[in-house]
Amino acid sequence: MKVTVKAWHAIAEWRWDTGQQSTPDTDDGEDDVCGICRLPFEACCPACKVPGDDCPLIWGECTHVFHMHCLLKWISTPASKAQCPMDRRPWVNAERKVNLN
Amino acid sequence: MAAIAPRRLTKELKELTMGECPAGVQLLQSADFETWVLSLEVLGESLYKGEVFALRFRFEPQYPIASPEVTFIVDDKFKAPIHPHVYSNGHICASILGHEWSPVLGVASVCITLQSMLASCKKRERPPDNDRYVRTAPASPKKSRFHYDDDTV
Repeated sequence: MKVTVKAWHAIAEWRWDTGQQSTPDTDDGEDDVCGICRLPFEACCPACKVPGDDCPLIWGECTHVFHMHCLLKWISTPASKAQCPMDRRPWVNAERKVNLN
Repeated sequence: MAAIAPRRLTKELKELTMGECPAGVQLLQSADFETWVLSLEVLGESLYKGEVFALRFRFEPQYPIASPEVTFIVDDKFKAPIHPHVYSNGHICASILGHEWSPVLGVASVCITLQSMLASCKKRERPPDNDRYVRTAPASPKKSRFHYDDDTV
């Protein structure tokens, strides 16, 4: 039998390397979400339209991760006292740790 | 700035209605993204056994960056719990609703915190400055400067 491929569609998948083990078994069956907007990291923050490099993630030295725009909105309010929303430690941007597997 | 509240509240609403509502908490009203009403009771042994309270949440477009305004409803049907941190007009003196708000908190976590605030109460009494506060209180407790003097209750 001879098969001729007439057309093909390439499909790619991407996700942010959050340096954390992803947990697909969370209650709602969703992947990791930003603690501030509760949208998946791979989706964009509520202020953006397109996910990806234009709506990146930000890492704190405390190891917590958020959509950069969400975190900056919080940090820019006086109420935040420039603290991480998760642990209230002073927010310090961390160099992104790239996991080379 | 785009309103971020609707998408976040859509998510919370889904969680609250899909069976992740904390025990003793029930959604009574959530028709829009400005005001929600939830009933709250303390399960198990407590000074408030058998009592049902109602909480009104008001959200600004910038919720959860901005904290929600949360009060106990005081009307014909509901009364504010008699508690050292709850004024008779329904205003609540709780640090997480004020200077310790964090955007990772939400409706469910606020309800759980208030449940545990009630559950751990040892004596049913109003705040010592209740009458003075209620006389002069702003409509929104978010405009009040509470003095958080006791972290144990």
